[in-house]
Amino acid sequence: MTTPPGHGPGGTRPPQPARSVTLPPSETVFEVGGLSVFYGDHEAVRDVNMNIGARQITAMIGPSGCGKSTVLRCFNRMNDLLPGARVAGKVRYHNEDLYGREVDPIEVRRRIGMVFQKPNPFPKSIYDNIAYGPRVGGFKGNLDDLVEETLTHAALWDEVKDKLRTSALALSGGQQQRLCIARTIAVEPEVILMDEPCSSLDPIATAKIEDLMEHLAQEFTIIVVTHNMQQAARVSEQTAFFSSEIDGSGVRHGRLIEFDETGTLFSNPSDQRTEDYISGRFG
Amino acid sequence: MTSRTLRRRAAAGTPGFLKRSQPRWTERVVKVLLVAAALVSVLTTVGIVVALIPPVVEFFGKVDLGEFITGTDWSPLFEPPHFGVLPLVTATLVVTVIALLVAVPLGLGAAVYLSEYAGHRVRGTFKPVLEVLAGIPTVVYGFFALKAITPFLQRFWPGDDPPEVFNALSAGFVMGIMIIPTIASLAEDSMAAVPRSLRDGAYALGSSRMQVSTRVVFPAALSGIVAAVVLGVSRAIGETMIVAIAAGGRPNLTFDPLEGMQTMTAFIAAAGIGDLPTGSTGYQTIFAVGLLLFAITLVMNLISIRLVRRYREVYE
Ligand SMILES: Nc1ncnc2c1ncn2[C@@H]1O[C@H](COP(=O)(O)OP(=O)(O)O)[C@@H](O)[C@H]1O
Ligand SMILES: [Mg+2]
Repeated sequence: MTTPPGHGPGGTRPPQPARSVTLPPSETVFEVGGLSVFYGDHEAVRDVNMNIGARQITAMIGPSGCGKSTVLRCFNRMNDLLPGARVAGKVRYHNEDLYGREVDPIEVRRRIGMVFQKPNPFPKSIYDNIAYGPRVGGFKGNLDDLVEETLTHAALWDEVKDKLRTSALALSGGQQQRLCIARTIAVEPEVILMDEPCSSLDPIATAKIEDLMEHLAQEFTIIVVTHNMQQAARVSEQTAFFSSEIDGSGVRHGRLIEFDETGTLFSNPSDQRTEDYISGRFG
Repeated sequence: MTSRTLRRRAAAGTPGFLKRSQPRWTERVVKVLLVAAALVSVLTTVGIVVALIPPVVEFFGKVDLGEFITGTDWSPLFEPPHFGVLPLVTATLVVTVIALLVAVPLGLGAAVYLSEYAGHRVRGTFKPVLEVLAGIPTVVYGFFALKAITPFLQRFWPGDDPPEVFNALSAGFVMGIMIIPTIASLAEDSMAAVPRSLRDGAYALGSSRMQVSTRVVFPAALSGIVAAVVLGVSRAIGETMIVAIAAGGRPNLTFDPLEGMQTMTAFIAAAGIGDLPTGSTGYQTIFAVGLLLFAITLVMNLISIRLVRRYREVYE
């Protein structure tokens, strides 16, 4: 390809970050140090170090199979559910070891929610989808109010207010995904993890989700995995670039190559591999 | 690129190049065979019903339908005969309810455990064991009820009124044990078929394993679970050997499970192996009771289909 360095794929202009690159100093929510994740004997991700700030969007980009989802699942201990998965290293959440002996993964997941690649609403009514999390969490207040507030917050209320009792599966894919985001914020988490939330959606639905993310980032800390570099550039303040590397013994591991402010990472990457990837020259 | 199919293929544009090249008859033969296979079971069922009808019609020529349905005395082979089928129906009901009280909680509990809690290895060992259990001949279960459970109950009964030698409790209990594997195995299949993504979604909202099982997986698998229970009920209602051995052969209109009683199936078996002359009224009662049994099972299946339609959560 003849695209000059720093240009996005297809020879377009370099993606511009949506917000100012001079960020206010942000409180650290996650501190990750020397994090490795194993599936059985295979070290899928090796030695990740990164700090994630509060109430901003952090994007994770990189070629598929480099371990983005794996790292994301460490933040709310979803990896616990995979047989054979093992985490080594440090993941601190507000200075508390997420993998500490006393830590209850259920409590972790109530504070750190997750939205998945494919919309996965429960085969229940729209209302029951939102009410599910509060119910299992022992919510005692008025559920009707909570459902309305949550759906309004997620900019979905006007579209669904007349069909709260119909199945969530009757919604379009984009609406289902926004319902899943709403369902997540209904339990009032502090962090929302999103694993390629738009990968199955059309551009219009994607734009709506991106708007929602920017809106939610005023209150929530968001970490989003995306294969869409424009999306990372549009919505995030910080971007982490992962890639897979073959080590001396011929084994492939996911590595964090570069982690920086989104504007810097896209316009002036410090690592050649980052530059190759964002300019579309990746092998 | 010179495989035989390619060389034999007519060049595009030559006349008729899109015509079928394989003969049509293979498809036809396969289709006929498959239809025949499907028809065998349907025709057998229809055949059974048709065969039941003439003796039943003749039976109700002699016995009043009202007396049959509402009569409380069943003694068709004695003089004077009485044809009130209620004692047989209540016996079937009592034994079936006891069996379900045992089999539904234990069977569904085992299914939830296997599908949501057990690791791969445990499930891999347990399921085949369950399926072997389902293959034990019912006559073995019958003797187990009569020779082990009943003496045990009689010996350790807390009240002054221990069960009779033949009683519905032992028969129902052991029948429940017998249908656990059926219910567990089918219910587990349908729970295991619930997509992982639903479980992930529920865990990510802070659910415990129990909450995921009961609030997400169970409702999503409901149609299969109901089917499993209905199959269990059908097996209980149709089960013959256990009740014939352990619940006795005395028609007895009671809901007391400590007494002996004769179920519909036990009557059919007992009368069927006796030497009733073909065409006699006694002989025809067998068919009348058989048709009633068939009707009850059918109605139950229809009800369960409606229930499933109403309550299941469709996840695709
Ligand atoms: N459940 C799992 N069991 C075993 N290996 C896995 C599992 N999930 C992911 N992997 C492996 O870990 C590596 C990283 O995968 P993943 O985190 O899904 O990458 P990404 O999200 O960047 O595409 C891949 O080599 C993948 O095969
Ligand atoms: Mg992924």
